Amino acid sequence: MSEVHEFVLAILRSATPLIYVTMAGVIAQRAGVWHLGLEGVMITGACATVVGIVLTGSFLVAILIAMAACVLASLLLWFVIDGLKANPIIAGLGLSGLGVGGTALAVESIFGSLAAVGAPFGVPRVGSHFGAYAELSVFVLGMPFVVLAMWVGLCRTRFGLRLAAVGEHPFAARSVGTNPARMRLVALCVGGVLCGVGGAELAAGSLQLFAQNMTAGRGFMSFAAAIFGGGHPFGGALAATFFSLVGVAGIRLQLHWSAVVPHDVLLALPYLATVLGVWITGRVRGGASAAAQASELRDP
Amino acid sequence: MPDRAAAVVRATFFVVASLALCGLLFELAGYPALVMYDSILEGAFLRPGAGEQSLRWALPLFITATGVAVSFRCGFFNIGAQGQFYIGAICAAFTADRLAGAPGAIVVPLGFVAAMAGGALWALWPGYLRLRSGADEVITTLMGNFVAALVLVYVTSGPLKDPSGSGQQASSPMLPASYRISDSYGVSFTILAIAAVVAVVIWLFVNRTAFGVLAGLAGRNPVMARFQGAPPWRLGLSSFLIGGALAGLAGAVELFGPTGRIATGFLPAHGFTAILIALVANLSVVAMAVVSLFFGGLVSAAIYLPILAGLPASAIEVINASIALFITARAGVVERFLRLGKPPS
Repeated sequence: MSEVHEFVLAILRSATPLIYVTMAGVIAQRAGVWHLGLEGVMITGACATVVGIVLTGSFLVAILIAMAACVLASLLLWFVIDGLKANPIIAGLGLSGLGVGGTALAVESIFGSLAAVGAPFGVPRVGSHFGAYAELSVFVLGMPFVVLAMWVGLCRTRFGLRLAAVGEHPFAARSVGTNPARMRLVALCVGGVLCGVGGAELAAGSLQLFAQNMTAGRGFMSFAAAIFGGGHPFGGALAATFFSLVGVAGIRLQLHWSAVVPHDVLLALPYLATVLGVWITGRVRGGASAAAQASELRDP
Repeated sequence: MPDRAAAVVRATFFVVASLALCGLLFELAGYPALVMYDSILEGAFLRPGAGEQSLRWALPLFITATGVAVSFRCGFFNIGAQGQFYIGAICAAFTADRLAGAPGAIVVPLGFVAAMAGGALWALWPGYLRLRSGADEVITTLMGNFVAALVLVYVTSGPLKDPSGSGQQASSPMLPASYRISDSYGVSFTILAIAAVVAVVIWLFVNRTAFGVLAGLAGRNPVMARFQGAPPWRLGLSSFLIGGALAGLAGAVELFGPTGRIATGFLPAHGFTAILIALVANLSVVAMAVVSLFFGGLVSAAIYLPILAGLPASAIEVINASIALFITARAGVVERFLRLGKPPS
């Protein structure tokens, strides 16, 4: 029985940050932005949370700082994509690089070394009512409600419909009086808040430390989960859970099969699962439209 | 203003603006920005021997960047250059390991062939998935990078582990001098010749062959290319294969050249920098030769930054990333300000 508990615990721990960030990916995708900057925004949230806890000693202040930092990063991406009309894919990759490099630089400039920064405490725990799950953070508890709220907001309100219209046909959306640029701004900023929570959960949910490049591709995986989930909050959450499940199963297998299968192959499993997910989804972006986007890279 | 000059002015503007923005950020974070610019210039070009060091980093980057440019021209976001580079280096290292003892004249060319084949294969599967079932190549190539990095960890700490190695970074044994095409400082006639051949071949391919021109057309206007009867499968797969083969070639150049061995997580920013070079150069082969020197200079300056400016080497990462953030911008405001012809429609 405890084996099962441990397995579920491990999945909840690794899936929760992924799901929050996936929700950011879903809302951005619905608004028509291919948000490859998720990695950068997520690591900003992780770094800001731990640094905030260490410097202010208050979790509430730290999470607010993290959210603010992530919203700022998202604003930067919005400005570059919408204001400067940059290619969203390259700009997103740039933001991811900026997040990974910038957090390393920030840690070095604040603490004087590149070593991992430990926090004295993390996200508040759910408490002993939950028995074996007492050590989980409150963000795990909040996660289903956030997914549900996303579903209501995106699929059951006028705002959600407008957002989808902006993503699918900006011209039509504009002709009924919706401002696509402003809708994308709202989508990216909401995504920023979600990434702040996701990053906080990653760094302070169970580990309570920030290490250089600690997201290790989780932001990109969340982006893939948003695609795999068909741009739907439930689909995205399921896809993110699937990726985590594969990762946790890999770690379990390592305990039993370490003599047979090299340990690095098992570490590669979540990335391979992501490829599988994108493969199954297929044709999301469609051949022609993708190539048209790439053509923007060149001057005429 | 002619289009080409406008493109040069635009690229320069965004690179300089990114550098200025980073300087401002570093200044706010408490690092002296002017000292940073000075030490970048010093470390990249002015110090004795710095020019050679910049060239040492620029040549493999240039080779990878030409491959990236071929993919991008054809309309595919193959951002897996890092993984293809690793797999190429691993294949070359295996060749050198298995044939140890054979004369260098046999081992080195075979190593290069193996590296190009390995890099091409690592680009083939995302290309196939993309063309066969429309799997987004941005994600598949990106995930390929993470997997290739883990393969590198496995190889350097398993089959090719240097038994005498110590320290945190697992690596393969140093190649014997007879297999090396340059010393550790890195620039030799062979490497220059390889880069020159790549430059000429790719330039001819892109500008002077029907296939290359058609590939460029397919990237700009796929619908028109299809109506022209362009073979999408052949165009698409060959653009992935060329990109992968060139990244693999760069891996072999690093292995047989300056680096001399493969190590866990070596040159982690190679692929990203190559993508940047291709974009800043507007995917033109001639421009890439110049832009590679600039980015090669940044890499070589990264070594001096901690010493001269007290900045961590990751400052270069931040500079590169912010150039990436802005380089594709099509700012009507900026273009009108710089009078770069008609504003984008």
